[in-house]
Amino acid sequence: MHCRQHAVQLNRARDEFEAAGVDIVLIGQATPRHAAHFRRKFELELPVLADKDRASYKAAGAKVATMAELLGPKSVTAGIGHAVKSRGAVRQGKMIGHPAQLGGAMIIKPGGEVVWSHMSEDASDNAPNEELLEAARRAASA
Amino acid sequence: MLGAAKHKQHAEAPARADALAEIVLLDHEGSEVTLGDLWSERPAALVWLRHYG
Repeated sequence: MHCRQHAVQLNRARDEFEAAGVDIVLIGQATPRHAAHFRRKFELELPVLADKDRASYKAAGAKVATMAELLGPKSVTAGIGHAVKSRGAVRQGKMIGHPAQLGGAMIIKPGGEVVWSHMSEDASDNAPNEELLEAARRAASA
Repeated sequence: MLGAAKHKQHAEAPARADALAEIVLLDHEGSEVTLGDLWSERPAALVWLRHYG
């Protein structure tokens, strides 16, 4: 559920990333067909890359969660909050991919320097959009 | 259960994206994308989703 909400929020902010001069790309752990379905279902315009083998997750330093990090009170409370805020539009569906794999976000500049990152510490821990956008603006202006 | 880790892991992004740059993924249309191409000309924000569910 957290990832759906996160993707929808990022998609809404895509024009702001474009205005900042930063391309934003989503990566999910499944096939191109799953990625296409995910885009259609949530009306996403952002590109979605498919990483069924999770090679990029490992290279990015993303971790696999413990049960407590997946289903602990923080994660469950945040999930309920997302469902309420979206009035039921965003809710947990069938999981595609490794259920315990966590994600994250980073901003990479030409040349390959990672100038900002936020790798998830539990299932509810996504980088705040405002923080990601602000980091994007800084990266583009530096 | 759920493939969860038995022991708490530490998530940490690398300082440089050299290993990421070589990875080739397919996009939602099935076209190959070399990740390094994403930031070859201007900064890129990459967001790894937990899963598609």
